[in-house]
Formats: sequence, C-alpha cells, structure tokens
Amino acid sequence: MKGVSSVRREAKIYVSIGVMAAAIIVLFARLVQLQVVQQQEFGKESEKNSIKKIIETPARGLIIDRNGKIIVDNRPSYTLTITPFQFDKNLIDEVASLSGIDPEEIRNELADAKGTNRFNPIKIKRDIDFKTISYIEENRDRLKGVSYQVESLRFYPNKFKASHIFGYNAEISEKSLNESTENYYRQGDLVGTTGLEKFYEKSLRGEKGSRLILVDVNGREVGAYNDGNNDVKPVNGADLFTSIDSELQEYAEKLMGGRRGAVIAVDPRTGEILCLVSKPDYDLNAFIGSPDAKEINRMFNHPEKPLFNRVTQTRYPPGSTWKMMMALAAMASGKITPTTTISCPGSFTFGNRTFEDHGGYGSIPVVRAIEVSSNVFFYKLGLMLGIQDYHDYSAMFGFGSRTGIDLPNETKGLLPSQEYFDKVYGVNKWSQGLLVSLGIGQGELGVSPVQMVCYTAAICMNGMYIQPHLVRKIYNSSTGIETPVEVKKRQIDMSQKYFDAVKKGMYLVVNGSGTAKNIRNSDYVLAGKTGTAQNPNGNNHSWFVGYAPYDDPKIAVCVLGENAGWGNMFAAPIAAAIMVRYLSGNSADVFNENVKMEVND
Amino acid sequence: MDRKFFDRFDITLFLSVIGLIVIGIFAIYSATQSSVNNSGIYVKQLTFAIIGLVMVIGITYLPPRYISSLSYYAYGLALVLLLLVLVFGRTINGNKSWFYLAGFGIQPSEFAKVATVMAVSNFFYKGDEDNQKFSVTQLLTATGIVLLPAILIKLENDTGTTLVMLSFIIPMFFFAGVSPFLLFAVVTTVAAAVLAFINIYYFAVFLAFLILALYFFKKHWLLSAGVFVINVIAGYSVSFFYSKLQPYQQKRIMAVFDPASDPLGSGYNVIQSKVAIGSGGLFGKGFLQGSQTQLRFIPEQWTDFIYCMIGEEFGLLGAGVVILLFGIIIYRLLTNAYLSRNRYMMLACIGFASLFFFHMFINVGMTIGIAPVIGIPLPLVSNGVSSLMSFLLMVGIGMNTYRHKDIFLS
Repeated sequence: MKGVSSVRREAKIYVSIGVMAAAIIVLFARLVQLQVVQQQEFGKESEKNSIKKIIETPARGLIIDRNGKIIVDNRPSYTLTITPFQFDKNLIDEVASLSGIDPEEIRNELADAKGTNRFNPIKIKRDIDFKTISYIEENRDRLKGVSYQVESLRFYPNKFKASHIFGYNAEISEKSLNESTENYYRQGDLVGTTGLEKFYEKSLRGEKGSRLILVDVNGREVGAYNDGNNDVKPVNGADLFTSIDSELQEYAEKLMGGRRGAVIAVDPRTGEILCLVSKPDYDLNAFIGSPDAKEINRMFNHPEKPLFNRVTQTRYPPGSTWKMMMALAAMASGKITPTTTISCPGSFTFGNRTFEDHGGYGSIPVVRAIEVSSNVFFYKLGLMLGIQDYHDYSAMFGFGSRTGIDLPNETKGLLPSQEYFDKVYGVNKWSQGLLVSLGIGQGELGVSPVQMVCYTAAICMNGMYIQPHLVRKIYNSSTGIETPVEVKKRQIDMSQKYFDAVKKGMYLVVNGSGTAKNIRNSDYVLAGKTGTAQNPNGNNHSWFVGYAPYDDPKIAVCVLGENAGWGNMFAAPIAAAIMVRYLSGNSADVFNENVKMEVND
Repeated sequence: MDRKFFDRFDITLFLSVIGLIVIGIFAIYSATQSSVNNSGIYVKQLTFAIIGLVMVIGITYLPPRYISSLSYYAYGLALVLLLLVLVFGRTINGNKSWFYLAGFGIQPSEFAKVATVMAVSNFFYKGDEDNQKFSVTQLLTATGIVLLPAILIKLENDTGTTLVMLSFIIPMFFFAGVSPFLLFAVVTTVAAAVLAFINIYYFAVFLAFLILALYFFKKHWLLSAGVFVINVIAGYSVSFFYSKLQPYQQKRIMAVFDPASDPLGSGYNVIQSKVAIGSGGLFGKGFLQGSQTQLRFIPEQWTDFIYCMIGEEFGLLGAGVVILLFGIIIYRLLTNAYLSRNRYMMLACIGFASLFFFHMFINVGMTIGIAPVIGIPLPLVSNGVSSLMSFLLMVGIGMNTYRHKDIFLS
C-alpha cells in the first residue's frame, strides 16, 4: 500500500488548513454578498420590518371593605406616548399644544430617556381626552412615533376620603428607579407612594405583560409579531380585602369635620381596623392622571400637613389616658394593690415644685383615681415606680415600638428610659421629678393614636395584645389563591385582678361620677378614659380612649383632637358616637356637639 | 520543571480566545439588555469566562501524561452523566439534556464532546501514524467509542450535538493513520446520500467528480468500482426512503435544508437573521442600535443566533473579525498538532480543531442561510456556561500541547 496512504503529517495539516481556508472564504464571501451587495435591500427590509413592543401594564389590585364593597377601583384611561426611534423632533410643538404640556417638558422627558432603549415608548401625559386620541389617529402618518397606551387609573367610588388609608400612586422617582434592584419599573411607571398602595405595592402592582406588534414604515400596525407567540399577558394585581367598615369610616370623617386630629377604631378581638381618620385629609383624586404640580406642592407645603397620617406618624403626650398604664404598672410591680389607698389633696409638691390637681379627693384607691382622673394619685405612682419599671411595663403594652400596622412610616413614639435620660441630660444629672409629670402622661412621652388604641384593646381583652391591621387577606384573582395576612398576638403576663380594677375605673369614668359621664348611653355600656394633654404648641390636645360593650368588647376606639381642649368636650362625644354607631349596625347617631358639663379633667 | 513560566505560552491562541469571549459578552449584553428576564445573564457569562481562563492557564502547565491518563475516566464519567440526564434531566426547548444543580443548568453533552475526543486520542496513541495497519476490530472499537455517547445524546433528542459528535471521526481517523481511501469511501457515501436528497443534478455532478477522484487513488479497478456502486446505491436509496415517508416527516426534513419552505418555523429565524446581518452593512448599526436585535425578532438570540447580532450591530467588520479569530484558533490548534511529538496530544488537538471548525461553520452558516438550521452554539461567544467551559477545556489542552510540544509520551 504505497502512494496516497503514506502521506506525512505535514501533508495532512496542509489538507486541513486548505479545507478550513476554503470554508472561511465561503463564509466571508457570503457575508460580503449580504452586507455589501445586498445591504440596501436588507436595510430597507429591516426598517419596514420594525416591531413595536408594547408594555402592557396590569390593572392594580382592588381594595375592598369588610362587607365586600369595592372602595378603591380602576378606570381605563389613555396615556400619550412618544417612541424616540420614530419621532421627529420638529413635532414637539404640535404634540405640546395637543396635550397641553409645555414643549420644554417634552424635550426634558426625551432628554431623560437618552441612553435607554430608543424603541421603548416614553409616557408623556396621562389621562388624555378622546378628542386628542382621534387627532392622533387621523394624523398618524405625519405624527410618527406619537401614540397612546391604555392604562388603568384609580377611581374612588366612596362618600368618604380615607386618603391616609389608601394613599396615592405617583410616577416613580429617578432615585427609587436607580435603587430598585428587581428590574421591574421603568421611567414613567406609577408606583404606590403612601398608605396601603405603598405598603402592599408588590401585591397590588401585578406582573407586566408585553405585546409585539409588527408595524410598517408609517408606524401602522400590520399585525401581531410571530402570531403573538412571544407575547406575555399581564397579570392583574392582587386584591386587598380590608377590615374597613365603609359606613363607619364615612361617619367618623363626618364627625371630625374640619378639625385637626385622628380617629382609629379596631375590633379588639382581632386587631382589625374598622376606621382610620387623620384630619386634615386631602383629595386622592388630585394625584390621579397628570397631577397639577402647583396643587401638589401646595399640599406638601401646607402648614397643617394634610399628607401626614396623624394616626401612625405623629407622637403626642397622652395626658390622662395614660393613667391605666400607670395603674397596671404599679399593681403588677407590687407597689400598690387594687385596694391600696393614697391620699390625694389638691396639689403635690416635689422638691421646690408644686404640681396642681383639679380637686382634692381624700384617700382613694386606684379604681376611684381613674374614675375621677386624680393627678396627685398618679404623680405619686410615677415616683413610686421609678424609671426602670415605668419603661418596662409600658413597653409590654407596645409603647416605644411600632405596632406593626400595615401602613408605611409608622412612628415608634418615645418611651423614656434610664438610658434615654442619661443620654439627654447626662448620667446622674436628671431629677426623679421627671417621673412626676410622666405619671400623668406628660413630659417626655410620645405616643401615636394607633399605639393608644392597641393599648386600650389590650386592656379590654385582659392583656391580649394584637397587631393592628387593615388587610385581612390578599386575593390573587388570576390564580385564585387567597393569602391571609399574618397577625402577631401575644398575651401580656399580668394578673386578671389588675385588669379588672382598671376596667372598673374606665367603666366608672362614663357610668359613675367620672370625667365622661356626659357620654353615658342607655343602649350600650361604654367604658373609657378622657385625656387633656398640655403641649407647648398651643391649646391642649383632647384625647379619649374607650371600648364597648363593657362586658363583651366589640370595638375599641381612640380619638385625638389637636388643640381641641378638654378630653370630654371634643374627643369623648366623637368616640362615643362612633362606638354606638358601630354597635347599632351603623344606624344610631348619638352625636351631640352641644353636650355641656362641668369641666374637671 | 526548569522552564520559565512564559516559555512556550501560546499567546496567539490565548489572546484570540479572549477576543472572542469579549465580543461574546458584548453581544449577550446587547441581545438581552431590553429583556425583562434575562438582562443579567452576561454577568454570569463573564464570571465563568474568568474562571475558565484561569482553568486554561492551569491546564497549560500540567504534565501531558496526567491529561492522557485521565482520558478514559473522563469518558466514563461523561457516559454516566449522559445516562443520568436521560433519567433525571430536565427538558428545555425539547431537549432533555439539562441537569439543574443549585440553580445552574448543566449540559453533560457539552462535556461529553471533550471526553470523547480524549478517549479516541488515547485509543490511538500508540504507533506510527504514517504506516498503520488497523484491524477491523480496532476501527469498530474506535467508532464505537464515539457512537455510544452520540446515541445517548440522540436519545436526549439533541440532534445538533449528535451531529457534532460525528464531526471529528473522519479527521481524527485520518490523522491516526487510517487508510485515506477507506475514509474517502465513507465520506463520499454520506455526501452522495445528502446531495441526491437535495437535488438529483448535484448528485450527477458529484458522481462525475467521484470517478475522477477514484482514478487518482489508483486503486485496483474492482475496489474503485465497488466504492462507486455503493455511492450510487446510497444516493438512490435515500430518494426511495424519502418518498415512503409521511408528508409531515418530509416537511420536517426539508426545513433543515431549505428554511424558506417553513417560513413560520425554523425558516422564520433564518429569514430574520439574514435581514439582521444584511442590514448591518460594512460597519454595522452601532452597539445597542440594531433594530432586529433590540426588537428581538429572533427568539433567544443570545444563544444559537448570537452571530446575527454581531453582524447587525458591528457589520462586516465585526462579523469578519469573529471568523478571523476562529481561523486563528483553528490554525493554532492544527499547528500545535503538527509540532507535537506526543501522539495523544496531536490527536486531541485535531479533534478539538474539528469541533471548533464544525461548530463555527454550521453556526455562522446557519445565520447567513448557507447551512442547515442545527441548534448548536457559536463556541466561546454564545451564552451558556457548559459550552463555554468545555471549549475552554479544549483550549487548555491545546495550549498544553504547545508548551510540551517536544515531550514524547511512551
């Protein structure tokens, strides 16, 4: 076998290199044919052949009240868009007059979008009217790159506002867009910014879809790309089933009227929030569509801070509503028993300072002290307790920490401790006298109305402390899956007889000779405590915390009137009216502004 | 070892490989940046490229005998993995060739390519390549080494990789010293079948050339006549069997050779891919500016159709550079094979060069409409960790061959 079979390795390599070189020449020749000879032809084809990717924004989830009524709904709307790839900048003025936007603003939007995908449409203006849509349709050949998308916007079919519950959606800020790591949002997207809309953003927003549409050179839609096989259907957001009682919410908002303050009512057995009002409130509709920047700025800069949720975000001194806390702490720490009597003359002197009371009551036990709201009794308890017990027992009732309500930016309030005073005043540089004021809920103590309602609910439930919440369950309508919201519960470890004593006092406040006998009701046994908190910024804050019915609590409530004066004059009648309204199945209206009585809180 | 670190470091091969990887990562970024689900995958590719390049350097300095002695173990492991994937694997795009381990998709078939080349090299490593007499048993065993994993891969329904497995048999046998006439007879028989299927006139022209070639081999006239007859039978029988198939089966086979016959299926990709590359022109439309790429006309463009993104956004310049880099890599593997005094390394380099060549030619050819649509990746460029790592393994052994080119393995 001589001849070809004895080729040497070198020859084989030459054959191999030859085969490879030939193949590469073939490939290269074909590339030249496509990219040089036929370039114009293919270039035209690729232009003709452009497709538009349309992001389909899902409808946000709905918000539903405790009776199944939709309280936050969606409505369809049109959003004007510009696709930079096709858009002729000479058209900016025409589009500006069409949409009623400053041409500069459009230029800025386009400039902002530089560096992103030029084929993605940019949202220019939301909620444009049908006339504009028709104009775009009629002039489509000329207005290349100008189009519109259907988007759903919020719609509130209610007689109440609940602005601080729902919160608003706004265009995502550049900052959050950069900070977001999940690659979901694009410039111009709406995102929940406050309230439930923010807290449950991930559930409410759903999943975006996309549609690919073949368009010709004039931007006219020719059909779906690849028969829609590459399309992704959007998945609508999940619905929030809340515990809000719409009628009670409406009633509470009406009662608060134009005053400043807060109302929150919960079912003490479950922690479900029945109504939540923060006044002044604002109109959520102002944030829908393309909001008027001036109007929005006015809200943000308003001296009464309407955007602030006074139920969860502010801290106030609780005043006399704090006295149950002191009573419980003193009994549980063994400083007093339910029957211990303390002498309560009309004033109390500590060091060289005299603390006043609104009357002398003789030697009284703790139940009586709560009923008449004696200050001297609780000045003394403050001193007896000392800062350590004061802090520790109050912390058990959730003070100084967040309640975990499902609304964003909740305050922790301020519960002073040894460390706190050491830090503020210096070690050993503060007097025990601070405890005197703290005993009656004044001084360096800050609580939010939501903390107060949880505390009240825990007292009436004999120490069961439940995380307050607005949302009961999240319902995903596309999968049919219901997710109940998890709620933390804990039992505060204290003897039942202490709760009995405190509850007896709260009963007598309304039904004995106490500070709120003006709100006694013949149909329902109410219990509660008034508070009139001094504050350096003007008139006293008016407080009332209470629950009803006394022997089988179904509602606990906290009302705060900023600078509204005496607890029994402003807060108590509103709280009573809310409790009776709720217990009567939203029928009775016992509110009477003109109840007058002697003021001795 | 007293040799210096940079002595006999195949820098040309190494830099060409890095060049392709870098182009690949830019291409993957461009093809995925507007995608909601895949926009981060270039980072993964980059991470594994770095790990892989470190691995290449590591392999370069290994003593060659370590590599050859590992061959059968690697091959055995590959077979076990292929069997396991058949039983436990996950099906993606119709191929049951994936393992999922801790969130990573692993394709044993990619690794099997390398291991099989190593096993064949090890089988043939003894002897004088210029004057071999292989027994029929030897030839059948060597063929069996390739066919066994190839069949397992075919059972995973991965036709592309199965064809890849067959691509290196002829070149490796050729360099191992198997009679060129025998190989010629096999190659022509396959070619006859394919050409007769595509067009009967191609087949006629082919037979004319066959007669000419047989004359130059100067074999006994009976032997030559036998090869000719086998070729004719192969050609006719293919047409005969084809006519017996169901129409839908015929259509499926036709689409591989003529994409335009199935414009909504695989043909659609080729048409769009040609438009993408053609519209790129000399210098391309610019990075991230290709309408075909950015609008994603071609699904999963970051894998098998990555080359059309390069053609569209970087033009003839970019597309040409990629082919050129492949040319350099294959050329280096061939010269390293030529220079090596280690027969095992020589054969391995030939196998790897064949793999690079076959992948590149079929993949690029597919996107420019001159090769059938077979789903195989563009080496070092397409997204995919298993493919990237297995090609870097080949590069490592190629670099090792250069480093140790005059060490003789006995």
